Amino acid sequence: MPLQILIVDDSPAMRSFIRRVMRLSGIDVGNYFEAGNGQEALEQLASHPIDAVLTDINMPVMDGEEFVRKMRGGGPFQATPVIVVSTDATTHRIRTMQSLGAVGYLQKPFGPEQLRDELDRVLGVRHE
Amino acid sequence: MNELEILVGALLNSCSEHVLETMFFAPVFDQADPAMSAGCERISSRLHFRGVPSGDFEVDADPGIARSLAAGFLGIEETDVTSKQEDEVMAEFCNMTCGSALSSLGRVEYFNLETPLISRQPAFAPAVDGVRRAFLLDGGTLSVCLRVDFNPVVTCGRS
Repeated sequence: MPLQILIVDDSPAMRSFIRRVMRLSGIDVGNYFEAGNGQEALEQLASHPIDAVLTDINMPVMDGEEFVRKMRGGGPFQATPVIVVSTDATTHRIRTMQSLGAVGYLQKPFGPEQLRDELDRVLGVRHE
Repeated sequence: MNELEILVGALLNSCSEHVLETMFFAPVFDQADPAMSAGCERISSRLHFRGVPSGDFEVDADPGIARSLAAGFLGIEETDVTSKQEDEVMAEFCNMTCGSALSSLGRVEYFNLETPLISRQPAFAPAVDGVRRAFLLDGGTLSVCLRVDFNPVVTCGRS
């Protein structure tokens, strides 16, 4: 079944890149939903059924940490898998995001294979 | 050149090349002279980061390279790239390469990258005094510069 993916990043260029890499990875995506910050992402989650969220950390209005904290705070989407997409791969940052409830971490730079592998791992499926 | 500067230089080489090839589909042909960009028309992006360490990162490129990188990143024709997209993609490159280098640098505890500032200069003047490396790409050059400070001076009453 095609996935419903929410991409959260304040950079339109980065959101476009993720869509492109997702296509190149061969993952079957039904719809892409996009948000420029955590607040917009929460609104998208309330309006659409989402299978997985890919989120940046540094964003205006509501950053990735606050967004994941609010997602995990209760509500219908508290179990929706969150993959963090960031340049920051320090142990400090990864542990912080995991403790908040992120289940995946994708360090930039990344290509189609890394994205597919992380989505497969998080969703427990295999895309060939 | 001290031990840290040698390490930073090596990381700038490997991280820049990895970012360019993986996310911009832009192979690096050779190293270039970092001093070549001064006084030339360049598009630059600069950011400050806070944490342990703190510091600054700067990237500058020929306008044609900025356009080519934007096209590669977005998967569109160069003729369709807008100035705004060039700026966004230069900012992304700045953010990614800086974060990638810092994540690979030993002794780093944590860091927060600020939003990159973009400028278009008819006669580029470097704004960051750090370890600089330049690369020859298809159609021009791009250079990066990183300054890291593990012992920032803390002034009471100021952030």
